[in-house]
Amino acid sequence: MIQTATGSPWAWVHSEDEARALAQEAVDLALHRGATYADARLVEVLEERLYAASGREPDWRLEQVVGLGVRVLLKGAWGFGSRVLGPASQGIEAALAAVEMAEAQVGPNSAYLDPLPAASGHFRTPFAVDPFAVSASAKHDLVAGLLREALANQEVTRAVAGVNAKRQRRCFASSEGSWQVQELVETGGLLQVWAALDGEVQRRSYPNSFHGNTSAAGWEYLDELRLPAELPRVIDEARALLRAPILAPGRADLVLGPAMTALQIHESCGHALELDRIFGDEAGFAGTSFIRAEERGKMRYGSEAVTVVADPTTPRARGSFAFDDEGQPARPAVLIEKGVVRDFLSSRETAQRIGRPTTAAMRADGHSFMPLCFSTHVGIQPGEGDLDALLERLGNGYYLDMDRSWSIDERRLNFQFGTEVAWEVRRGRRARLYRNASYGGVTPEFWGSVEAVAGPETLQVFGLPCGKGEPKQWGFVSHGAAPILVRGVRVGVAG
Amino acid sequence: MIGSKPRGGDELTGRLEEALREAGEDGAQAFVTIRQGEHTRFAGSRVHQPQAVEEVQLMVSVDRGGGAARVATSRLEDARAAGREALRRAAALPPGRSQAPNAAGAVTGTFNHWHEDTAAWDAGTRSRLAAVAMTLAEAAGATAHGMLSRVLVEMATARSAGSAYVSATEASATLLVRQGGGSAYRGDLARSVDQIAVEELVRSALAEAAAARDPEPLPPGTYDVVLGPLAVGDMLTFFGGMGFTGEAVAAGAGAVARRQGEEVASALITVADDAISLGVGLPIPFDIEGMPKVHVPMLDRGRVRGAVFDLATARAAGTSTTGHAHIAREEAPCPTPANLILRAGSSTTAELIQGVDDGLYISRFHYTRMVDPEASTFTGVTRDAAFRIRRGSLEGPVASARFTEEVLGILGRTDGVGSHLVSQPIMNVWNGVASAPSLRVRGFRLGFR
Repeated sequence: MIQTATGSPWAWVHSEDEARALAQEAVDLALHRGATYADARLVEVLEERLYAASGREPDWRLEQVVGLGVRVLLKGAWGFGSRVLGPASQGIEAALAAVEMAEAQVGPNSAYLDPLPAASGHFRTPFAVDPFAVSASAKHDLVAGLLREALANQEVTRAVAGVNAKRQRRCFASSEGSWQVQELVETGGLLQVWAALDGEVQRRSYPNSFHGNTSAAGWEYLDELRLPAELPRVIDEARALLRAPILAPGRADLVLGPAMTALQIHESCGHALELDRIFGDEAGFAGTSFIRAEERGKMRYGSEAVTVVADPTTPRARGSFAFDDEGQPARPAVLIEKGVVRDFLSSRETAQRIGRPTTAAMRADGHSFMPLCFSTHVGIQPGEGDLDALLERLGNGYYLDMDRSWSIDERRLNFQFGTEVAWEVRRGRRARLYRNASYGGVTPEFWGSVEAVAGPETLQVFGLPCGKGEPKQWGFVSHGAAPILVRGVRVGVAG
Repeated sequence: MIGSKPRGGDELTGRLEEALREAGEDGAQAFVTIRQGEHTRFAGSRVHQPQAVEEVQLMVSVDRGGGAARVATSRLEDARAAGREALRRAAALPPGRSQAPNAAGAVTGTFNHWHEDTAAWDAGTRSRLAAVAMTLAEAAGATAHGMLSRVLVEMATARSAGSAYVSATEASATLLVRQGGGSAYRGDLARSVDQIAVEELVRSALAEAAAARDPEPLPPGTYDVVLGPLAVGDMLTFFGGMGFTGEAVAAGAGAVARRQGEEVASALITVADDAISLGVGLPIPFDIEGMPKVHVPMLDRGRVRGAVFDLATARAAGTSTTGHAHIAREEAPCPTPANLILRAGSSTTAELIQGVDDGLYISRFHYTRMVDPEASTFTGVTRDAAFRIRRGSLEGPVASARFTEEVLGILGRTDGVGSHLVSQPIMNVWNGVASAPSLRVRGFRLGFR
């Protein structure tokens, strides 16, 4: 059944009772086969994407996935199995696969979970306008108009406009008695323009460069983005960059715009504070962290101005939810308080190793994969004042925003980021535009050089995909970010 | 076998044909991809992520010249419904400016890249190998981290002209050994697990990790280097971004559009996208549009040659598809190099090292990203084993360091090519693999610029 109407959210599994029976059957089978713990996630995803790109006709796609993932703990060994759901009993097969994967491990195995009380509940993303109920013509007119207008400009050689929407129904049952149903809705948009002149190519993006931006909201978020109104500025800046000088190497004081601050949080705070990385579980692929678990409460990570909080209860944030993918209730957790590490992005298993409650950061890509520690909604706490006030405080330096390239080492220590735009700031006011800006540094030194964070009125939420794990799976996370003022940063490091 | 059995060509092409009947055969196309993966992932002293993962996507596309309306489902039983919905959505697309893509020459038939040795590489066997790696590492005062995987792959496509089906296996092994502040990494993948010498990977990673202990910081500067096959393969993954795609050609950007025929690399360098040369990477005969994969020369003895195309970009460029249709997650469809090969030379890695008087051996890069596609500039850090080379021999280990370099600059300053190809997956590309040998490169810059 392909169902795009907005009426019943139950597209394949026809009722909550049916979903619960499927998930519980898988859990019960695992227990019958000897598991001491089991959980089952039944996930239905409906995702729509429409892209208009230069050089090709529009591409409009609707993707639906429904499946069951089962995780078991059996004789001290983990096992995970997933199956797409069809008319046959693939839920049972997923449970059997999980059990057999656990049984195949060479012992002795010593994984365990401290028992926790059941947590049950229902959650639905609040939204005003169901993005799947918006007419096709409204979506096509929007992206086609953006593309047409962008390409009508001299020097614009390439453009992409896109909109996206996703609805997920995530059901969770565990052998501890939890039963949870979450309906998560998100909507996003993307606009990118490339301008070229004499071999020089520059790109400008809105609202963000990496996959645009996606909010836990309905179509009202697209309206708020005001893509058509922003397009002329995006085009003007892409063209102006063609004639801008290159930002020269040196040290400078910087204000990073909210999009760039979000990336900085993602790469050098979020990943560095994932407790599975800290324990070496990701060493073979994504890497480790420069932080050690025993440094919690002691390690100075940044300046007094830096407080970073994981709060998956934040409204309209893509990384928010009511329960993570091992069924733990979302709650705010201070990760960095006035520059000192206070907690980590953790799972039950990793948190119990440090004698802490989990911060509910165990997340999986749909039903298919075993959950890992991912960012949730991780954001910097705002300070005071608007952007102009922060630039005034900066005095002389540069204002950089929106990532163009990004790289960080496997310990999340040595980073180099490029930005789409850089404005010189002279006596607190934006002046000349520069192209090919880049900056780099070492994580704790960088955050230790943060002098101020702009106020709550400047805070923006950026939702983005993130890759982790082997086999790689996607996490969908978000970051709350306000502009930050950083002193003495190396700039022009990419040549 | 834990994974479910392959569905088989009859079932899959049958489902696709059902979908096409509903979609109307004019401009309609459908594919299904299935990956049944078993992954034994380990870290330290335990298998911490043993997974049996099934991924299924059946997608129906209707393109009558106004763009593509695609509907995908994980439920093969919903093939007809997907076809109907794709047709309904195609009718809602605005009138197109161009003709429907020309799919003449679509592949039909059944193809087999299935290897029983891989299919039989079960969770128990992989678990025992992981245990051996972890035990040997522990005995050496090290820790082992990695993954041993077996994936059963099926892909089918259908158009009005007929259908095609391929079944394949995929085996891969990765291993990182950490010891004394240093580390060493090994990885390989192939259709047949017999082509992956897992025990040798373990042995050599342990030996290299022992040599890589206590790495010294490396002063920024310019060095003659020998890049290991995994570092070179990482560079190949930027060829798409550097302009070797139909999308870049249409935009007049990148190497193929702007430097066609120009000598941009050493005459020792030949790079192609080739999914049909059996035995290298992960061969596969056709893409998700059902079009044949063809050999695409990108750099021929250092000169810029061709780009990869899908039907849409080929239509825009007035050329033929090369069988490189790709739909990445959360992105617009774009033709994508997926089976990159840098042609092997005749030197062993040891011989390449002997040709360096004062320099470095770099086994691997990490977190590389394109900085400037036109200039082919990319940045990243060295990761895992890296050593000083003095007078043609490896000496002490050196620590991770940042670099910002030009891919074509590196290939232009290459004066030696290794004889042994190693394959690695290309992230976010379905059946994506890059296969490369070692290279000796003069004047590689390390440190912030």
